[in-house]
Amino acid sequence: MRVERRNVINADRDLVWKIVSDPDSYPSFMTNLERWESANDQSPGVGARYFVHWKVGSVPVGGLMEIVEFDDLRDLAWVGITGVTVRGRIRLRDEGQGRTKVTFRLSYQAPGGIWGYIADRVAVRQVGRIAADTLKRLKERAESRG
Amino acid sequence: MAGLAEALGWAREQITSRVPKADLDQRDPDYIRDQLPGTWLLASLYFRADVQHLDRIPAEGPVLLIGNHSGGNVPPDTFVFTLAFCSYFGVERPFYQLAHNLVVSAPPLGWLRKFGTVAANHENARMALESGAALLVYPGGDYEVFRPSWERHTVDFDGRMGYVKLARDAGVPIVPVASVGGQESALFLNRGQWLAKLLRADKTLRLKSIPISLALPWGLNISDLAGHLPLPTKIAIEVQHPIEVDGDDQAVHDKVMASLQAGVDRLAARRRFPVIG
Repeated sequence: MRVERRNVINADRDLVWKIVSDPDSYPSFMTNLERWESANDQSPGVGARYFVHWKVGSVPVGGLMEIVEFDDLRDLAWVGITGVTVRGRIRLRDEGQGRTKVTFRLSYQAPGGIWGYIADRVAVRQVGRIAADTLKRLKERAESRG
Repeated sequence: MAGLAEALGWAREQITSRVPKADLDQRDPDYIRDQLPGTWLLASLYFRADVQHLDRIPAEGPVLLIGNHSGGNVPPDTFVFTLAFCSYFGVERPFYQLAHNLVVSAPPLGWLRKFGTVAANHENARMALESGAALLVYPGGDYEVFRPSWERHTVDFDGRMGYVKLARDAGVPIVPVASVGGQESALFLNRGQWLAKLLRADKTLRLKSIPISLALPWGLNISDLAGHLPLPTKIAIEVQHPIEVDGDDQAVHDKVMASLQAGVDRLAARRRFPVIG
């Protein structure tokens, strides 16, 4: 399943990147985040690992994530190493007039064949809400700083 | 009378010989991972489960998880917590659960061993903790799990506190796990301890109870040996703060009971209706 949500923030890209490039600040704007802990001593960037769990349905879902792309002012992407197969990306693009377009993508696939497929379908609405609400909170946070 | 004694002796032999020796290697992380989506669907849609404060469990190392037990022979709290633990810490973290001999020896339930379920005895528990695993134990066992539904929010281990010695010997903390909702999966009427004594099942099968309940699809359900179809009751679980084993057994046991009962009371207070939650 792939979920994608976008919005435009009335703040310049430098400011938005400052927030999204600091994974330690994610608990302050990511919705339904139950756990966010650094798993290695590496500073934010490619190779940094985190334990991440979102509350989806009845229990926290996630696992150990590693940042695989850290393209200054543009893209930050991570993949799941344990738990469900998951890939996430936050993408920033200039929208002109000091505004920034933010895209938040989450791709995930549960194991377990047909049950995994059904679980993916059932979860997709909630994951969509999580992505949309996360962007809303990011916008509020960035615009309050701008 | 001699015929009955012989029959009971035969039944005992059949069961004890089938109780598999605990082999911790039977736990299969890949199998568990494949089963998680199905159990997630059941927990999220059917039981509308809500599990809180898993972060209170030490992130690594052996730990003894002590829970109050509900739901008869089909306890939803066990499987919801197992799902939550495996989702939160990953299937890679070794996690075992103790279960009654009858459960681990029943051929249709052989798959439970892949989840890490081993027969409830001190030796197996010690072995699991020494291996560095997390271990889930329900000291109340069949006594607590068959309590009448109107006592559903009472934690009652029947005075059992062997788990404190287990934690002390292994040098691990105890983390209480409080849950509500499981005892509303059927209408449990009576533990049937008198029936177990009458049929001598307490001696032959280690069954202290032959419970009497009203449950789907049987109606009147005596013993619950064949299980039942649980009602879609909302399951709520709250993990409590770890308790270090630093006093005498009774003092530690009292702390665990107080922590569990307080957790159950909190969860019960949020519950507006039986079953619905």
